[in-house]
This record gives sequence, C-alpha cells and structure tokens, in this order.
Amino acid sequence: MSIRRILAMVIRHMYLWPKSFERLMGTLGWPFLELTIWGLTMSYLQSNLMNSVSLVTVFLGGLIFWQFVTRTEVETALNFLEEVWNKNLINIFASPLTKAEFLISTVISNLIKLSFTASMLTLVSWFFYQFNILKTFGFLIPFILINLFLTGWIVSFFVIGMVLRFGYKAQELAWAITLLVQPFSCVFYPLSALPTWAQNIAKFFPTSYVFEEMRRFLYEGSINKSNLLFAFLLNLTYLIISIWFFSMMFEKAREHGRLVKLN
Amino acid sequence: MDILTVTNLTKKFGKFTAVNNISFSLREGEILGLLGPNGAGKTTTIDILLGVTKPTSGKITIFNLPFEENRVQILKQMNFSAAYINLPWSLKVWENLYTFARLYEVDGFKEKVQKLMKEFKLYNLKDKPTDSLSSGQLTRLYLCKAFINNPRLLLLDEPTAFLDPDVADLMRKYILKEVKTKKTSILFTSHNMAEVTEICDRVIFLNRGKIIAKDTPINLAMRIKFCRVRLFFDEKKKNAEELLRNYKYIFSLEGKEIVVETEEEKVGQLLGRLSLAKLKYSQITIEKPTLEDFFIKIAREKI
Repeated sequence: MSIRRILAMVIRHMYLWPKSFERLMGTLGWPFLELTIWGLTMSYLQSNLMNSVSLVTVFLGGLIFWQFVTRTEVETALNFLEEVWNKNLINIFASPLTKAEFLISTVISNLIKLSFTASMLTLVSWFFYQFNILKTFGFLIPFILINLFLTGWIVSFFVIGMVLRFGYKAQELAWAITLLVQPFSCVFYPLSALPTWAQNIAKFFPTSYVFEEMRRFLYEGSINKSNLLFAFLLNLTYLIISIWFFSMMFEKAREHGRLVKLN
Repeated sequence: MDILTVTNLTKKFGKFTAVNNISFSLREGEILGLLGPNGAGKTTTIDILLGVTKPTSGKITIFNLPFEENRVQILKQMNFSAAYINLPWSLKVWENLYTFARLYEVDGFKEKVQKLMKEFKLYNLKDKPTDSLSSGQLTRLYLCKAFINNPRLLLLDEPTAFLDPDVADLMRKYILKEVKTKKTSILFTSHNMAEVTEICDRVIFLNRGKIIAKDTPINLAMRIKFCRVRLFFDEKKKNAEELLRNYKYIFSLEGKEIVVETEEEKVGQLLGRLSLAKLKYSQITIEKPTLEDFFIKIAREKI
C-alpha cells in the first residue's frame, strides 16, 4: 500500500472541490437548506400543538403535493438527461422532431408516470395513515395539481437549459434544484413562519400560494380563489420564460456544437 | 438535379475555424466522399447538414429548399449514421427501430422494420437490449436506422468503421443497391480509401476546414506523380542499394525487398540502370498511386 498514491488521489479531489459549485453545494448548500426547512417546520409545530386540525393531515397533504413538484421536475429533467447519457441527442434532433414536440412529449410521458405516482401515494397514505387525500381536498385537487405540475415543468425546463449551457456539471441540479425552491414554497409551514426577507422572496413562488391555500382549506374549510388564480398566472408567466430560456440555450448549444458533444 | 447545395459554408468555434468557406453540391443518386485527416472539418460539416450545429455563415439548400426554414420537411427525407453515435442502450433492438420509424413518420413501419432487420442480419437479435450488442452489430443497427425512412439524402460518417470485412462488403453492396434502385444520394466519409474508391462517384478533400481537391477517386490518385517499385533481390542487394543511393533515389528496405519511389515515366530508366549494372532482381511489383497515397500526401501537406 502506498501512502503517496492515496494522498495523490485525496489531493486530486481537493483540487476539484473548491472549484466545483455542485460539489460545494453537496457539502454545504443542501445540508443547510435541509436544516432550514426542518428547523422552520419544528418551530411551527411547537407553536401549533393545540390546533384542532390534525398535524398529520397538514403534513401528509404537504408531503404528497410536494411530491408532484419534485417528481414532475426530476422526471422531466431525467427524460432529457437519459438522451444525453445515451448520446442520443444527435439522433433525435437530427430527426424531424422539433423543440416544441420534444418538450410536449416530455410533459406527456411525465404525466403518465405521475398518474402512477399519484395513485401509489393516494393508496399508501390511505392504507397506512387513514389519510384520504381525495376526500380531504375534493374539488380543490385539480386547482392545486395544475399549479404544482406547472411549477415542476418550469423548473425542469430551466434545468434542461442549464445542462445545455453548462453540460454535465449542471446535471446535479435535476435532483437538487427543488431543494432550493422548497423553503420558499412553505410546504410544511405557513408563510408567516419565514423571516421577512424570505417572505418577500416567497411571494414570487407560485407554490407558496398553493400550500397556503391548502392549509387555509384544512383549517377554515374555504379558499381564497384569487390566490390560486394569481399562482396560476405567475406559473404561466414563468412557463413562458422557461420555454424561452430552454429555446435560447438550445440554440446556443447548436451554435457552440454542444448538442453533439453533451455527455 | 442537385439534391444538396452548400454555398460558402463557414463554421467558427471562437477563434478556431472548423469549416472555412466551402461550397459543393450533391446530385441525385450520387455518392460523394467527404475525406480528410482528423480535424479537417468533415464531422462538423455533417453536423451542420443535420441541423444539430448552426453554421456561422453560408447557405444550405436541400431538395431545392433552404435548410433552416424547412428543417422538418427536409429532415423527414434525410437520415444519417455515424460511428460515434449511440442509441438508447436499455431499449431492445426493435424498440429503438420502432422509435425512429415513428419519429420519421414511416407508414407501415412494422413491416418496414422487419424487412430491414432481415436485410441487416439483425432479426435474430431483435429482442436483445442494445447494450448487449457487439460493436459490429451496433454499426449494423445504426445503418438499419439510417435506412428506416427510405431517405432521399443519406449522410454516412464512417459507417463501416467497426464492421469485419465480410459484413462491410455486404453493407457496401446494400448501399450501392439503394443508390441504384431508389436514387438515394449519399454523402460519405470513411478512412478506408479502398472503400471510398469502390463506392464514391466523386470525392471532396478537406484539410483544415478548406476544400483542397474535388474530383473522382481515380483522378485524385493520378495527381500523385510517384509510384512504388518493389524489387526483390536474391543476391547483390547491397550493390543495388549503393546504386540507388548514387542516383539519389528515394527508397526503403523491407526484408529482402527494396521499395523505390519514383515518377511513373522514370520506371524504365530505373530498370535500365539496374540492368546496366548487372543487378538482377527475381521479382518486381509496380504499385500505382492510390487514393490513400493522395490522402497521406494531403495529411502531410506535401501536395
């Protein structure tokens, strides 16, 4: 065994570590965000222990609905990354397939997969926790889901654009980016639990309105329709921006010859 | 009728010019070889023609239509295969072919895929995952995919690179049959000069992004003025070497053979000199210049 060879490999990784954003995020950024989310959640729990609505309902509702954002985002981004890893981008984009067709096909295959995820989550939460999401949220479900799907697609189109621009270095975003969105989405705690500066940021996240309305429905039995509509309009605006961003990055990739070299 | 017209095509990556103001055309039913050393700009040219890389400047017309504005309509009638591509590894052979048949909107694609799989000797492998195929089988699969939509224009970038000579020969025959029966036009790159000579009607030589020669393979080979004379000596080989050195011939030694490079019209003079010196060779072979000689000259920039 050679200490020098072991050291050589340790140093080789140390060369890369401070220069690599994704590795720094892995070491410091994501753990910090996890701590923030669960710290805020626990603070909220502590001050709401006496509330009449079951906290399990609030949490399971948040957890299940949040899965729609993460699974939509990850699955959509993975559809693209699969083509990158298989070196198949050149085949599909040298075929008559257009950018719009590619995005639509990605969204459709994503919806098919999500219908399985939704069924599984509904059954498991009902079977193990006696939490019937269909009965609990009823007519509200389509309004919540459309907003969550849109957010997932927006984030994934942004990730795909980043991969087209920065190559494999940006791949980790596919899994990690929702962790950046989550603290400002107020999934497990209300908007008021955030510090003021974070509340101001959260107002630009459509998901924060959706989860606020989800909790309002559970606590008060009513919703503020204009909040859901505002979330939808915000989503539409971001969707247009994310498609434009994807398209721009795609054309940049064509310009720089990256479409055939991405892996 | 020209199927493809490239006019003043240039591609720059930053300060590096990969393709430098090239113009050429490809006629219906013609096989045009695009040759050149590594880094000459062949693959970049093909990537541009496929629409996956954007040119810096220049004009591309395919089927008499400007490419950028009619991408979908044109690509439906085109296809390609390259040694450096892959198909999704976890999909079975037939799943990959069905996917591309659907992408190219092939009518009656199931029958078409069955027929092609038989022609490319893939039928017995149809249920195998793509990642379990050998490199030769993969190359056949890529070629099979390339013919799936009966393309009018086919771009083949080193399509026979990993095939054994027998299968490569079958593939060449298939390509030639398609050209003859369906008037398919093919832009073809290969490092196998014998293959290029066999199947290409015309050849374009690229070096450092520029076209430096355009002609038939035979005419290009004839541009090389030197031929190779292989002389086998049973005895007096040293004396022969000395004579060649005195007359300042370019020669090399390969076992008992002396290989002399000389101009074709001066072969007689060489043999006369050997005869006068009473140096008898037991065997003689005169190798005419080939496309490969031309390629080597270009790669070494001696032409």
